[in-house]
Amino acid sequence: MSDDVEELSQIRRFLKERLQRDYTTFRGHDTERENIRQLLQRTAEMAESNSLLLIGPRGVGKTTLVNAVLTDLLNNADFIQNTLVVHLNGYLHTDDKLALKSITVQMQLENACDGKVFGSFAENLAFLLECLKAGDKRSKSVVFILEEFDLFCAHHNQTLLYNLFDVSQSAQAPVCILGITCRLDVIELLEKRVKSRFSHRQIFLFPNADDFSVYVKLFETLLKIPNERELKKHAERVASLKLLQSDQLTFHRNHFDPGKYKFNKRSTERWNKHIDALLQHTNVRQALQSLFDYDVSEAGLKIFIYRLVAQLHNRPGKTQVTSEQVTQLISSYNNDTKVEILCGLSILEMCLIISMKHHSEIYDRDPFNFEIIYARFNKFAKLSTGMQNIERGVVLKAFEHLRNLELILPITMSCASKVQKEFEMHKLALTYGQIHQAVQRYQVLPTEVTQWSQSSLI
Amino acid sequence: AAKRVGTPKRNIHMSNIVEELIFDKHDVPSTPKLKSKRSLAFGREKDIEKILLEVTPKKPVEKTPKRGQRSSSKYAKDCEAPKTPKTPNEKLKMIRSGELTPSFKERESVEHSKLSKNDLQLARERLHVSAVPLSLPCREKEFENIYTFLEGKINDHCGGCMYISGVPGTGKTATVTGVIRALQKQVQEDMLPAFDYLEINGMRLTEPRQAYVHIYRQLTGKTLAWEHAHALLEKRFMTAAPRRITTVLIVDELDILCNRRQDVVYNLLDWPTKTAACLVVVTIANTMDLPERVLMGKVTSRLGLTRLTFQPYSHKQLQEIVTGRLSGKVAAVSGDARRALDICRRATEIADSSKNKEICVNILHVQQALSEMIASAKVQAIKKCSRLEQILLQAIAAEVTRTGVEETYFMGVYTQFESIANFMGGILIPSTGQVLRLCSKLGAERLIICEHTRNDMFQKILLNISMDDIHYALRVRPEATQ
Repeated sequence: MSDDVEELSQIRRFLKERLQRDYTTFRGHDTERENIRQLLQRTAEMAESNSLLLIGPRGVGKTTLVNAVLTDLLNNADFIQNTLVVHLNGYLHTDDKLALKSITVQMQLENACDGKVFGSFAENLAFLLECLKAGDKRSKSVVFILEEFDLFCAHHNQTLLYNLFDVSQSAQAPVCILGITCRLDVIELLEKRVKSRFSHRQIFLFPNADDFSVYVKLFETLLKIPNERELKKHAERVASLKLLQSDQLTFHRNHFDPGKYKFNKRSTERWNKHIDALLQHTNVRQALQSLFDYDVSEAGLKIFIYRLVAQLHNRPGKTQVTSEQVTQLISSYNNDTKVEILCGLSILEMCLIISMKHHSEIYDRDPFNFEIIYARFNKFAKLSTGMQNIERGVVLKAFEHLRNLELILPITMSCASKVQKEFEMHKLALTYGQIHQAVQRYQVLPTEVTQWSQSSLI
Repeated sequence: AAKRVGTPKRNIHMSNIVEELIFDKHDVPSTPKLKSKRSLAFGREKDIEKILLEVTPKKPVEKTPKRGQRSSSKYAKDCEAPKTPKTPNEKLKMIRSGELTPSFKERESVEHSKLSKNDLQLARERLHVSAVPLSLPCREKEFENIYTFLEGKINDHCGGCMYISGVPGTGKTATVTGVIRALQKQVQEDMLPAFDYLEINGMRLTEPRQAYVHIYRQLTGKTLAWEHAHALLEKRFMTAAPRRITTVLIVDELDILCNRRQDVVYNLLDWPTKTAACLVVVTIANTMDLPERVLMGKVTSRLGLTRLTFQPYSHKQLQEIVTGRLSGKVAAVSGDARRALDICRRATEIADSSKNKEICVNILHVQQALSEMIASAKVQAIKKCSRLEQILLQAIAAEVTRTGVEETYFMGVYTQFESIANFMGGILIPSTGQVLRLCSKLGAERLIICEHTRNDMFQKILLNISMDDIHYALRVRPEATQ
């Protein structure tokens, strides 16, 4: 029994770690992968200068692709000896000054010392350019990886991009500039002289959206446990990552290491068989199809599977991924969070929402203020049994609560409006359908309120 | 490569006599690193360098050897010093005084020899934009124009300005540097008086005033604050000095140097007007009407009317450029020489990777390269969206058609979304929150332009692709529109 418990927790840990920390496994897109690999290899071996943009929607695995290619190349001793990898991120290096310092540190130039860079911005730029100019075909190649490339385009004058691309197009040290971005029109952001220096190699990376069976297959591979041989192969591949000596590219430090895991043959077989059986369920397939309709990216699927795996327990009936779990989890994706917020409101707040709905229906989504809503609510409250004798101050408080929840939005977004808060105009950020659903699902809503919500006549 | 390091120093050799009167600088010792590099030098540019080094002693016969002796005797200890670890501050001081030459890490393994390369690889190397040929094809006229201008100025020993414009990739900088190279050759053969050559690039400066620092560094090798550098340059150009030689200053990307005050451009263009300066300024920029559009009246007036425009390459000229670099025949289809060369290079790569035995680039390879480098991926992107994202795009298009206005609101789009999804059937209609997430995803890809999600139902949505693209992309895939 305790063996089973042990085994299950190991499986769970294995799956979770593989989902979260396997930064270098990239599936599919063989032509794109080969393309980048060759480009980087030529930069390293032939000392060619190149530039490339990798474009694709978020969650498609652009960074993973680059990591995978780097891992492939790390087996090549030539590559390690002859290249420096400089990694920049548009969110971290928000201006050229920071980016330049980071480059200086990562390239270990002479004006850098233990991660500290000396001299002003202008001096750093001049020194970097001099160094690159001093290099030629016999010097090391530098691979610049610019993540969130579109943010670098927003820098002043695009100085950094101009200089990097300029180096790549002149007889200086061999560099390869690899931009990664999710914007399809990123080329339009470049200034014309920068654009002219860019080599216009673009690789577009799109998720597989045509074939549902591939998606199901991916679901299967992500949940199944590989056999010993595959584990070993993976472990060997990951082992070469240690050779990557970079302070900025940190994916090798805490990488998923399959070598740590050893599975009982019988239990893995049982587990894999169960996954096979799971995929035969029509319910599961339907649920996956609805997920696929919404989000085709691998990242989305991984998050889903992670949640699924996290539900595994030692309790009976929970030791396996069941079809009920899958369908339940996916239906939870479709929950409307706003309806849930509405269901958590007090009855008074609910009444205010209903008055707002009536107002919006009658005046075709015209904005309203507290006075209008209060008058409408008062009409109802006077005739109701439960809502009489509610003070104006209490209603105002409820109104403010709704505003803080951002169920109603002020028309002017500025907070410093001089209008008194009772008279400030608002609009309703809910659809009528949502309000209707909330009224249906609200626990113990008085009947008179439910009736009132259906018709504005009292 | 070593040229850049070498050039300013060489210039000092020649104009030393003049400069020492004004600058009162102590000599810059040449580090052993630099020397070894020079002796190592091979390749085309370095050959010139070598020749130059051998030739220069002709004029200041006793100057160079003396300096060599001095540096070897006086600074012998210092020369050994760079190898030993220093405190960062000392290092910085050495960098600023120009004693520490910037170096770059060398490869550990030897570069592939020329023999092991196949024809395609050689072609690719020659097609690289950085491999500038000795004489630029199709720019003979411009070359002649700039050459006569500079030759005249140097011979007459007076100052002047020139403005060169043209769209990027039309060979402006390459031609100008080619002219300079030709002139330097003339100087070697004693056909022309010697001249100093300085160059700055607006885009390589962090701010316009850094131009002073760069110019001064090229004259002396020292890095100063811009105020100091400015004062010293002013002193150099304003005061007359006997035996001053002409200085040619190339200013690339002139428009970046123009700030609101335009003091830097004014100074750069004002110095040539001084008789003492003997400065010839060649300015390069993209737009033809920059002097009239951006510069102030007095600056434009100083810039003068000696102008030259580089026209974009025609089809035939581009073809000539490409064939000039190759022996085969590849036709180009772009306005920018860099672009044409990059496309050709990509074509050779495609030809290389295709497993054809006969190594030759055919028209299919060029077409593939062309479609890769000019292609717009928007249709592809729409096709690869998830089903709900496609419905959302259709809904936005439908809302635009309904209202007739380009700008739509999320609320209307959501209504359209609901009705399209209902019409298609079999789809669980997602909540507004989920559709907002789809919106921001499409917004990140820039298929649509949308506001921040905090505006919730009232955010404005613009379609960033044409409606035809949507219809085209979705009609081809039947199950999405059935």
